[in-house]
Amino acid sequence: MNPIDPRLQAALDGERDPAELPADLREAYALLISAAELLEATPPPRVSVANRVMAEIRQIPVHVPPHGSVRRVIRWFGRPRAVTLRLRPVWTLALAASLAAMLLLPWQQGSVRNPGETEGIANFVGHFPGARSVEVVGSFNNWSRGLLHLSDDDHDGIWHGAAVLPAGAHEYMFVVDSERWVPDPLAGRYVDDGFGAGQENSLLFVRPSAAQP
Amino acid sequence: MVNDDADVVARVLAGDGEAFGILIRRYEPGLLRFATRMLGNPDAAADAVAESLVRAYRHLAQCRDPSRLRSWLYRITGNRCRSHLARRHTTDIPLSEAPAPALAEASDTWEVLERSEQVALVERALAALPAEKREAFVLKHMEGMSYEEMAAVTGARIPTLKMRVHRAREALLEALEEVVR
Repeated sequence: MNPIDPRLQAALDGERDPAELPADLREAYALLISAAELLEATPPPRVSVANRVMAEIRQIPVHVPPHGSVRRVIRWFGRPRAVTLRLRPVWTLALAASLAAMLLLPWQQGSVRNPGETEGIANFVGHFPGARSVEVVGSFNNWSRGLLHLSDDDHDGIWHGAAVLPAGAHEYMFVVDSERWVPDPLAGRYVDDGFGAGQENSLLFVRPSAAQP
Repeated sequence: MVNDDADVVARVLAGDGEAFGILIRRYEPGLLRFATRMLGNPDAAADAVAESLVRAYRHLAQCRDPSRLRSWLYRITGNRCRSHLARRHTTDIPLSEAPAPALAEASDTWEVLERSEQVALVERALAALPAEKREAFVLKHMEGMSYEEMAAVTGARIPTLKMRVHRAREALLEALEEVVR
């Protein structure tokens, strides 16, 4: 196979005016362009697949994410907020004593409900310094945004959160600042996202609470 | 555009499954053309495109940038075509071995007949290319994609894609010049 003159490649890539090519290269240019146009203008015989596809997707149950207002309420409750308490000094001592008692107790799973026997708690941690928001989307929430936000209360760039999930394998991704999809660098296991191009989802395995020690 | 891709995707994700038909009408012709050139068989191409569109519907929430839906759909379809080629059954007939497409009737002019032969010649030359070079040539010259969009579709780097397109052109030009001479 003879290499094509780089000037011809540049013209075919639209980086050079074909009119400036020498006559022999202009001829080759015209030959290749007309071949491509010939293929493009001569579509092979085909039958539309639209009806077949629509018939199939009508059989698929529709997943409707929570309505906008419901989602806003969930988000409102899920987001960290600054709360100012004005206390008399005597109450401050009581509050300090309560906090100390809470810290001495074994760590509980924060606001996450207790998992059922076939469920477990998944903890998500990611290091995203400077991020304005981090959330988790995955197979467990139908890749829907706005349902599982992580928090970084002390602004150290480490975002964390937890959720009760059915036991088993789940694929997931972090969505940083509402636009950047990032696999979890700490996931350890990854699976192809199935759309080619070599992109991967993170994979986590949730153990059932009944199997926890 | 009133019904741009992101708007339609949002409607589908909000529960309006019928809106997916807008996307099918918008992208079906190109996807079928792409798959047919990749597989060399219109029936296999129709299957690949139908499977890809159903898969796209099922996983629409995973489309990370709905404004680039076209690239995403081509990526799914290209992936499906590659899978098909990998497990291709021996009964499939690649275009390079297929008979020339229905040639002109006797009443047609010589120009039409000549054109049919030209199409058959170019199709055979294209089908003789390795799949990844054929894919690069089709995306570049038939689907009119930029190298950046091709990178999003194939996952390959831009210099790699340029090299594939260049090699495909060389092979096609050689095949065409042999006949022209």
